[in-house]
Amino acid sequence: MQHPFQCIASVRLPGEATSYDYLVTACGPRLTVVDVAMGEIASRWSTERAASTTSNGDDDEQSERPKKKQKTSTAAPRASNIIKLIVSPDQTHIVTVTDDKLIRVFGVKTGGLLDELSQRCMPKRPCAIQILPDNATIICGDKFGDVYSLPLLPSDSPVVTEQASAGAAESEVSKKEKEAAFKPSATNLTVHTKRNRKALEAQMAQKDFTNKKEPLKFEHKLLLGHVSMLTDVLYATREVERKHRGYIITADRDEHVRISRGPPQSHIIEGYCMGHTHFVSKLCLIPGTDMLVSGGGDDDLYVWDWPTGKLRRKYEIFGAMLGLPYVGDTVMNDGSTQQAATVGDMSDHKVAVSGLCTAPFTNAKGQQETALLVTCERVPALFVIPVNRLQLVKKYEITQIDLDYPPLDITCIGDIVVISLDGRKDGQYRLTANKLVQPNADDKGHVMLKPDEDTEARLKCLVGSAEGVRADDKELDELFYSVANLRKRGGWVTPGEDVAAEDDPVDAEADPNGTEIVEMEDDATVRKA
Amino acid sequence: MAGPPNKRQKREEKHEGQMPQKKFYRQRAHANPFSDHDLTYPEHPSAMRWSEHYPHFVATIPAAVPKDDPIATRDYNEYYVARMEKRVEVADIGCGFGGLLFALAPRMPATLILGLEIRTSVAEFVQDKAKALRLQQQQQPPASAGAETPPVPGGYENVSCIRANTMKFLPNFFAKAQLTKIFLCFPDPHFKARKHKARIVSATLNSEYAFVLAPGGMVYTITDVEDLHVWMVEHLAAHPSFARVAEGEAEGDECVAVMRRETEEGKKVERNGGRKFVAVFRRLEDPAWP
Repeated sequence: MQHPFQCIASVRLPGEATSYDYLVTACGPRLTVVDVAMGEIASRWSTERAASTTSNGDDDEQSERPKKKQKTSTAAPRASNIIKLIVSPDQTHIVTVTDDKLIRVFGVKTGGLLDELSQRCMPKRPCAIQILPDNATIICGDKFGDVYSLPLLPSDSPVVTEQASAGAAESEVSKKEKEAAFKPSATNLTVHTKRNRKALEAQMAQKDFTNKKEPLKFEHKLLLGHVSMLTDVLYATREVERKHRGYIITADRDEHVRISRGPPQSHIIEGYCMGHTHFVSKLCLIPGTDMLVSGGGDDDLYVWDWPTGKLRRKYEIFGAMLGLPYVGDTVMNDGSTQQAATVGDMSDHKVAVSGLCTAPFTNAKGQQETALLVTCERVPALFVIPVNRLQLVKKYEITQIDLDYPPLDITCIGDIVVISLDGRKDGQYRLTANKLVQPNADDKGHVMLKPDEDTEARLKCLVGSAEGVRADDKELDELFYSVANLRKRGGWVTPGEDVAAEDDPVDAEADPNGTEIVEMEDDATVRKA
Repeated sequence: MAGPPNKRQKREEKHEGQMPQKKFYRQRAHANPFSDHDLTYPEHPSAMRWSEHYPHFVATIPAAVPKDDPIATRDYNEYYVARMEKRVEVADIGCGFGGLLFALAPRMPATLILGLEIRTSVAEFVQDKAKALRLQQQQQPPASAGAETPPVPGGYENVSCIRANTMKFLPNFFAKAQLTKIFLCFPDPHFKARKHKARIVSATLNSEYAFVLAPGGMVYTITDVEDLHVWMVEHLAAHPSFARVAEGEAEGDECVAVMRRETEEGKKVERNGGRKFVAVFRRLEDPAWP
């Protein structure tokens, strides 16, 4: 059993004659940096080591609601896993998020060395993180729907936020005064329910009333928020009247894609891209255009003209997936579960888009083009759509490329597409390196993967890097496959509530025979590579 | 949670046009805004079938609707949505049993007013009451025939209610700058600090109110909980899209008087001799891009 890489990213450092490419991989709690040209490991870092020195990130929460949290804190200590890994636009820093809500910033130095610069504990688990083009600001969306901005590099002097300084002043006030100052939030006159009355009594009884919620000890700003779990956050820029305007695009579990102005006017909502009927999990901007692609639990990708919020078209992906294997858990005869085994095919399952990204390729005529790469949770395939196909309203062309195992993450080193795969058995390969090629100039929608054996061979140096990282199948599944959990449990009805089906007519219409719909359209082509 | 089935049966026993009785529609006063209720909502404001709620305002000559009219159906809506003459302009978020709605309706008979309520039974009560009131108005003999009470302007045709979680789905119902007034009357105070994110007024939610409100539009808040009042004032006033309306001006607003007097909670507070705290805010124009 080996631990696959849950996140990968590439860093290109400028050199004197040529630039140096590094591949940063996250394997459980470990970061390993590979010098791509040399095929050597450049540096390693792990939360296993850091765990002993860092304070437990859950402290805040524990003091807030001690009883519920005790369960998890008594569990055997485990090094926290890396759940997000991003690189700053100028390639000088990488930022990681671990499942204990810590945001860490590393400097990347010559030779691929990592220098841990800071760690900050967010109030809620970050779900999406970005570094703005200014290379100085992190924006971070969390499970509670809030988006914060933090400086990439915290200022040297311990930041005394306004709240913190107010708090310090307060501590000088004697306890007696504090008691006198305390005023319950409600009075007996306030008309309320039994519960609220009880809460009031409890408040009255609690004499030493202090605001327990400690403010974050580092500089941060709340930019915007949804009352829903955030799933993705993007920063977009657009030139209007010769000025660059920044926007924050956020997606949530309740089908919304919101366009807000970038800081410092992030309180202004410019619009929404409305139309999804299930959760949105991933967003992807198409470079050089005003197109935004969103995907999630719907059978289609949605292609938006994001400045106006208008839907350009839907791009079906479920039809292309039918017949593909679905890798999940099977219960064996002896009662044990065998994970990561093929379980039926996609026709028994629903779409959960886990990755959307763009990659450059050279087309058959030798011109530079961009392709959209789509991955779905537990589906061992990659879907490729040249972005110029997205603009056309009627053409439907998607290339499906089979992979050995479900893809976990994708990154590009120049024009080399590196895919991390969920190969858990010893000896299965966890990374593939490929180039996108267009075999036929007349067949513009057809793009294939051509293995780049040289690069792949050089990445073999990572084979032993996960030695000692242990996780069972269940833990791996939890770490890798969380997108499908965003789907709402439909169908349950609270007694007395209306039996109104959550699925609306649009959904019912798209359901039957997805493949046939694809084939019926003249221009539609679904290729199996 | 709704009452036992016999309550539901009793609701249905009444004959058409008879006023619904509140006691058959009672529901626990708190709902968790974060949970996935079994909600129905349009995927886009233009997909909302307002015709069911305001049949009197369905446009008779669709050709009269200009092409760029946001009410008109968007081409990507596969199913037909009737065009409306008017859009909803006034929203009562958390309308409860609809006291404010039915008091406002005759005062602005040409404006569509919508109540939004998260509790199913309560929203149903308001819908049933609107239907009953409309029928009553229709059946009333014209004033010239010597009716005892004069007919109500608008005949309650301009008021309706939907069950919705506005904290999550406000932009599903309303387009940008569609509303002129939003009422937040006696919201759930959520006393515990941990629950403050569930409050109907927060720094981040205020951006959504600003989005659906036209510049110059108003947000009316009223509560009997001073702590919550302070919270709402603090958060709305701190939001760059809103400015508090001076108290003198607010008191001159007819809506404020109606809100104090006619809301169900307002009456309850009155009976108990409690205090009512009112604050009104105006939606400012968006600033130019930096």
